[in-house]
Amino acid sequence: MTRADRILILLVLCAMPLVYYHLWFGNEPANYLLIRSSDNAPVTETLRSDRMLHITGPLGESIVEINNGRTRFVSSPCIGQVCVHSGWLSSAGGFSACLPNRISLTLVGQHPRFDAVNF
Amino acid sequence: MTKHLIRLGCLLLALAIGGCQQAKDPVFHDQFFAFGTLIEISLYGVDTQLAESISKEIEQDFIGMHASWHAWQPGALSSLNEQLSRLEPATIDPAILPLLKEAGRLSQRSEGLFNPVIGNLIALWGFHDNPLPVGTLPDSIAISDLVKQAPTISDITIDDNFITSTNPSIAFDLGGFAKGYAIDRAIDRLRESGVENAIINAGGDLRVIGQHGDRPWRIGIRHPRKNGILASIEASGDTSIFTSGDYERFFEVDGQRYHHIIDPRTGYPANSTTSVTVIHSNAATADAAATALFVAGPDQWLSTARNMGIRYVMLIDKQGTIHINPAMQSRIHFEPGLDAQISLSAPLQ
Repeated sequence: MTRADRILILLVLCAMPLVYYHLWFGNEPANYLLIRSSDNAPVTETLRSDRMLHITGPLGESIVEINNGRTRFVSSPCIGQVCVHSGWLSSAGGFSACLPNRISLTLVGQHPRFDAVNF
Repeated sequence: MTKHLIRLGCLLLALAIGGCQQAKDPVFHDQFFAFGTLIEISLYGVDTQLAESISKEIEQDFIGMHASWHAWQPGALSSLNEQLSRLEPATIDPAILPLLKEAGRLSQRSEGLFNPVIGNLIALWGFHDNPLPVGTLPDSIAISDLVKQAPTISDITIDDNFITSTNPSIAFDLGGFAKGYAIDRAIDRLRESGVENAIINAGGDLRVIGQHGDRPWRIGIRHPRKNGILASIEASGDTSIFTSGDYERFFEVDGQRYHHIIDPRTGYPANSTTSVTVIHSNAATADAAATALFVAGPDQWLSTARNMGIRYVMLIDKQGTIHINPAMQSRIHFEPGLDAQISLSAPLQ
């Protein structure tokens, strides 16, 4: 075995856990957006086209933006505006909710970080 | 030799990537609306046809329970409340009898901080209905009058399936408890059907049984004030995780938040807590305890948790300080960059 072989083996061994880590725990890009609202069945939305979504909850209309594979609440009729101030979600597992208006956004990837979220 | 190693390296990397991408999700997911929230069912390793059938049965159960247990829509509980308001002895519908008995037991253990008979106070604040009141507060004299009447579980007597009351202000409202009890019933049905690995998640409050294949279920706990996750818990076996928070149902008047967790001692929303997370094997107990500990607040939560047999608690107070007992601290994993102060309590047991 030459020195080059040993270096190669080392590189491969180093690369394997990094690949696994990236795929299982890293900032995995999302496949789609899952929207849940209290009065409607959950809806999936593609992240491939930029647009505004108008979603109606018990308090009124929330506006959600999809842009460049990311999503965020643009406006919501809640008083606290926590959802709007929380900003963009950009990777799989990202979660944002307007609880008063009972609308939640989840970016879904192939390997979600959590099996369920408690709140 | 080098060529062979390159091929070997490429093969291993391809297996690593391909193996991950081709893994089929072994979890069946279903969702439906009941109890005014989204119910999510996750079943691990169950045949799809069987999973769909079980999920439909659970959905029907939830819808039936909600109808029977609703205090403010025509049904068994609202009829009972009408009779109790007239101090008439009443027969309890078998559909709600075990529910009321368990609520009474938990209320006594919480020393009344979880109080399932303050329905009139809940209604006065408007938290029994949708949408919530905007811009107005209930009359302070009406609140004071109800607090003076002090309806507690000790005002009623349940003998066999008969109930009598000595306090006309008694009105059952099981909002702080029914969801947990319903989850327990759903878990019972899953087990009867042979399902050993599952999550029932009712609007963010959940119970898990078994695990996700060869690893525990991974549960995130949402931050009560910021977007995203505050912490995570790995759960397996039989674990209920319930959180009561002031962000769930509230309205604001003159910049002040009035939320739905009413302190029965004052008649006003409990004002020293932001959220309480409780872990317990039984969902109904976790549900009632989360409400009671929220009302107890940072000064009293430890004694209340002990009285109720709770071993894992995390309470976040109004200043953002995280109060946590050692056993809970050892189970929970805070997200990197946590900027809150942590106050470690004495052990609970």
